Amino acid sequence: MTAVSSTLLTPRLTTVVAHNWKLAIAVAVVVSAISMAGLPAAVSFWVVGATAALVAAAFTVNAYRRHYFGALLVAPAIAVLFVMNIFPLLWSLGLSFFAYQANQQTIRFVGLGNYTRILTNDLAAHATWGALINTAMFVVFTVSAQMIVGFLLAILFAKQFPLRKYLLILVLTPMMLSVVASGVFFTYYYDPTFGILSYVINSISGNQFILMSNKVGAVAGIVFADAWMWSPFVMLLVLAGLVSVPKYLYEAAAIDRISSWRQFWMITFPYIRGLLMLALLFRTIEAFKLADLVILLTKGGNDTLTISYHLIRIANEQNKTSEGAAISYLMLFMVIVLTNLYLYLANRRTQGA
Amino acid sequence: MTAMTKVKGLATAASFAATLLVGGVTYASAEEVTLTMAVPDWPPTRIMKKFFDEQYKPKSGNTVKLDVDFIPWPDFYTRVNASLTSGEKKYNFIVSDSQWLGAFVEGGYFRKINDLIDADPELKATMESMHPAVLNAYSTYPNSTPNYYGFPQFPDVLVTYGRKDVLCNADEQAAFKAKYNEKLPCTGEEIDAMDWNTFEHVGEFFQRKKGDKLAGQVLDDDFYGIAYQAGKGYDFSTSSVHSFVWQHGGGIWDETKAPTGHAEGVVNSPKSIEGMEHFLKLLKYMPPVVKTGTMDIFVSDQLFREGKVAMNIDWIGLAEASLDPKTSKVADKLVFGLAPGLRGPDGKVNRTSQIGGQPFVLTTWTTPEQIKEAVGFVKWWLSPDIQNQFAAGGGQSAIKSVYSDPKYVTYRPWDRAWANSLDWQKDMWHVPQFFELLTQQQDQYDLAITGKQDAKTTLDNIAKFQEDLLKNAGLIQ
Repeated sequence: MTAVSSTLLTPRLTTVVAHNWKLAIAVAVVVSAISMAGLPAAVSFWVVGATAALVAAAFTVNAYRRHYFGALLVAPAIAVLFVMNIFPLLWSLGLSFFAYQANQQTIRFVGLGNYTRILTNDLAAHATWGALINTAMFVVFTVSAQMIVGFLLAILFAKQFPLRKYLLILVLTPMMLSVVASGVFFTYYYDPTFGILSYVINSISGNQFILMSNKVGAVAGIVFADAWMWSPFVMLLVLAGLVSVPKYLYEAAAIDRISSWRQFWMITFPYIRGLLMLALLFRTIEAFKLADLVILLTKGGNDTLTISYHLIRIANEQNKTSEGAAISYLMLFMVIVLTNLYLYLANRRTQGA
Repeated sequence: MTAMTKVKGLATAASFAATLLVGGVTYASAEEVTLTMAVPDWPPTRIMKKFFDEQYKPKSGNTVKLDVDFIPWPDFYTRVNASLTSGEKKYNFIVSDSQWLGAFVEGGYFRKINDLIDADPELKATMESMHPAVLNAYSTYPNSTPNYYGFPQFPDVLVTYGRKDVLCNADEQAAFKAKYNEKLPCTGEEIDAMDWNTFEHVGEFFQRKKGDKLAGQVLDDDFYGIAYQAGKGYDFSTSSVHSFVWQHGGGIWDETKAPTGHAEGVVNSPKSIEGMEHFLKLLKYMPPVVKTGTMDIFVSDQLFREGKVAMNIDWIGLAEASLDPKTSKVADKLVFGLAPGLRGPDGKVNRTSQIGGQPFVLTTWTTPEQIKEAVGFVKWWLSPDIQNQFAAGGGQSAIKSVYSDPKYVTYRPWDRAWANSLDWQKDMWHVPQFFELLTQQQDQYDLAITGKQDAKTTLDNIAKFQEDLLKNAGLIQ
């Protein structure tokens, strides 16, 4: 039975059988073209959708009859990925070559115009570069703060002490809160009239203390809030590495009277290096997209505009859709380069070790 | 050009088809008509929904359902913008900030209502009974032309909120008189007569540290004289700066003079710079949060309700919360008056001010059946009886017969400032480039407010940007 089915003959293009996907594609293309040319957009949209479903059905029947069950099982995931991720990605790439605004019904091809504009235009490029520099600054500060704090917390929680379990839950709480809630909380925390921070410093120094009134303070405020929220995440990953180190290695090291500094580098670090790299990677990508805290705490004031927030303003508020698409591709490009750089370094270290 | 026409044609065809589809469904059940509405979530719209549910009986005999989406203010523009531009055609009725008109009319989303007004003498009479400043700000695009798009939902102006217990205290009154040789405004009438100089004096006079005395009581926290929006978000400094610029005889780019009017030389004229400098001068008397660039209308309102300032200038729309003892520590100490103005050499006070409030607009995909019911609803909403009830419940009315009625001022303590404010109101731009103009201007104002650049540099930068942007858009020759 299996032998017969797996040698299912490929039908000729004109044969009308359910698994003839080539015919389905041909029909879909012709019908779609006709409907787009002849029918109103609201109707042809559904016609094109139906033909796409037809092609999908033909592929499914074909795979079923040929017993490609693996492919059939993966297909829904691929379909979702395509519809939700890959298609919009390609669509926005296309848009970035046009002059298009979401609130206007006109579209015009401009080639690389949007990219030249955001990178070289007198007014637009100034904003882009400023936002990119700020973003780089936030990436460096927030990620290093989180890595250091997270790492130290992990070292602490790797040991056993009373109430450890409950403290661990407490430390993990910030990560589970919504960013908006944390943002609002920090707005009050830093507020010069209602906030506890100014209250404490005022009563010590006697002068009015306003954290968010200059760039240093504003950046410090955002970095602290971000570190507060995401250090537990780093801690969790590092902690997983720490508890996986076999106890007997430390016992052997203790017998050899190896200093705790060398114990760390020779035993602990190799176990957690991969996880540290992973934490670094995740947090860098996230920090590159930092916008929520900036919106909540400064609205981009005191020169804290990040590229993500800049993008939101261009694409969502000002409706400059295609310019926004160009900026997001610039961001995507940078994140990909950065990620690969990390992975390359990580792999080189592993091979070197 | 051909591509443009084609896209436009397609869009028209699409909306036509959608109209047919949706229309067909509506006709099938003619008795029940649903109007879907996007509104900001705050008292003026909550009241409207409440009145509708309790009282509205459509004259057509149909069952009309009002399906209201209450959206929080900070998200409101983003959500409406996303809904409109995505083409989901969800809303029939949208409470729109007046400045959005151009952007959404040009996008083909907002429906022109001249035909509805002309076809309905009753509606026409209602629209004509509206105060012209409100009508121009809320309804017209291009600004101040007889092309109507909106019906007033909640008209709003800036007024002065004051604390009677502090302002009317005898010791404070005497000390103020001794220091400035003028009376500290205490009653509503005295606040009405207040100019920016007195307002500034109030600010300077009431700067008190923790442990100082205020109205005979020792303070457990710092206290400030004045607050006025100066925040970076949305239009939270534009609304205050525009008023100063206008009062000093300066200007913003005037779209009614397009395409011959300019931004350069107007926006950064010496008079405009003078106005901006006057505004910046007041900031040093305001609560310290102003230095962070985040003192928006909500923050200054909260400072006032928490009893941290003596006077605050803010929209009437936010005032309801200060009356409620649950949300306000000053609920029983309130006094309201006109927003201050600039006293000229002749002694007259110029109070030209940025208008607030919102119209509601119909969207282009609303079916004839829905439009019929929508017009019925609008006529009901703008009828004197409902408008009076709305004002009594904390709203405002721009209909002359309503607000000039003697009983109008008895509804809420701020209503006394309403009618006298109306003549002074002006609006900012209605052009489609509004949001770009606004964000850039807010960024620049923020730099000035947080002390990073002076008024001249700020207005020069804004003028340069606007000149460039509007030239490219063909609005400046």
